[in-house]
Amino acid sequence: MTETTVILALVVITALGFDFTNGFHDTANAMATSIATGALRPKVAVALSGILNLIGAFLSVEVALTVSNAVVRIQNSDGTPKEALTSDGGTALLLIVLAGLVGSIVWNLFTWLLGLPSSSSHALFGGLVGATVAGLGWAGVNWNGDGSKLDGVIGKVILPALMSPVIAGLVAAVGTWLIYRITVGVAARFTDNGFRWGQIGSASLVSLAHGTNDAQKTMGVITLALIASGEWTDTTNIPFWVKASCALAIALGTYLGGWRIIRTLGKGLVEIAPPQGMAAESSSAAVILVSSHLGFALSTTHVATGSILGSGVGKSGAQVRWRVAGRMVAAWLITLPSAAVVGALMWFIGDLIGGLGGALVIFLILLAAAGYMYWRSRRTPVDHSNVNDEWDEPAERREPAGTAV
Amino acid sequence: MSNFGFALEGAWKVLAAGLVLGAGLPVLFALGIRSLAWGADAAAPRPAGKALAYGLFAVVILGVLLGLTYIVASGFGKTISFDHFWPAIVDK
Repeated sequence: MTETTVILALVVITALGFDFTNGFHDTANAMATSIATGALRPKVAVALSGILNLIGAFLSVEVALTVSNAVVRIQNSDGTPKEALTSDGGTALLLIVLAGLVGSIVWNLFTWLLGLPSSSSHALFGGLVGATVAGLGWAGVNWNGDGSKLDGVIGKVILPALMSPVIAGLVAAVGTWLIYRITVGVAARFTDNGFRWGQIGSASLVSLAHGTNDAQKTMGVITLALIASGEWTDTTNIPFWVKASCALAIALGTYLGGWRIIRTLGKGLVEIAPPQGMAAESSSAAVILVSSHLGFALSTTHVATGSILGSGVGKSGAQVRWRVAGRMVAAWLITLPSAAVVGALMWFIGDLIGGLGGALVIFLILLAAAGYMYWRSRRTPVDHSNVNDEWDEPAERREPAGTAV
Repeated sequence: MSNFGFALEGAWKVLAAGLVLGAGLPVLFALGIRSLAWGADAAAPRPAGKALAYGLFAVVILGVLLGLTYIVASGFGKTISFDHFWPAIVDK
């Protein structure tokens, strides 16, 4: 076994680790509303979402190997790695990918610890951008595309992130408002059961779409690493074991459930009632599918959060905790740069030590950071038993001080 | 055209289609629930209400099937074309 093979193995393990965090970070996007309204019991919701993610991942028959091309220049347009990065047996490229993945995972775990729904794709792109800037300089990053289509960090990541929560929020607000208008005065035995199924159906679509979209990214990254190290040459297919392991990793992560994030999205932003839950998930499903149809890449997280906020805005008299929303937006803004800084730092450490030793050291740093954050999370555990507890932060729309007493 | 222009153009389309599918279908679903309740009057049941409700639910289910078809098709490297109004599965 050569040095490169060991580094490759580290990259594959780290990529699967990222896929796993991607799964549990995003369970909330599909299932937070159904869990909060009681449409599904918490364990049933995460199991359903996990299974649909697994199916969705296996449905990705045609996987694009060029996932990183939107933001960094480490691949040619056919998906093969740039020759300059493979001259030394691929270790230059492997180190960039490994450092980038470590940056993404560390940021994903940190936002999970804080219970903030940040975008896993932003974390992945951020980590890769940081590691690429460190390894290849600023010119290695595709900042703005070539002007012929929506491309680059600005076009594929930043602009959609600014617009998607607004679009999803508008759709959900309109839907919520109309649904309440239409069903006013209808007996609860009709609305309760109806909206329950409406929520389950729309949330299932979001889960399935998530499996097809997000697992693909890791599949592309692993295959890129395999090609760089000469273990795989086909640029039109990916090895079956890559597909199967990525599908399993994202499904297991989803099933584990990022309960801290589910709690924030389901209980923290808005007190969600079944009609709002259905409006929010329908909006998310429609916006995600339509935008992917139009080639306008959106983050599921931003869409889902926007939808839930919109469902609070659309119901008259509903409380929206804008302070929680503000904290989320702050996390979104710093996700890309933060993951980039960690990714760059990891590349410098790995490069300084060099070779297998460098890769091993940053892998150990990842394990230490992950272990520490897991340990911190145990101080205030959130799981399926307390995910729906009352949110104790005071809501902003209270009676003005002095009116009572 | 700049990235900003492309993004605005995309956003506009996503908003329009999102409103039709993401708000329109739930509205039809809510109308279905309303007419189901209207048809189930205990004293004088109205079969028309039930029929209308199932008609509305059927439209919603078609919309969901369209979404499912798109997800499965895109997994196979295909997409759905609306060139002839009716959706058709074509190569990406």
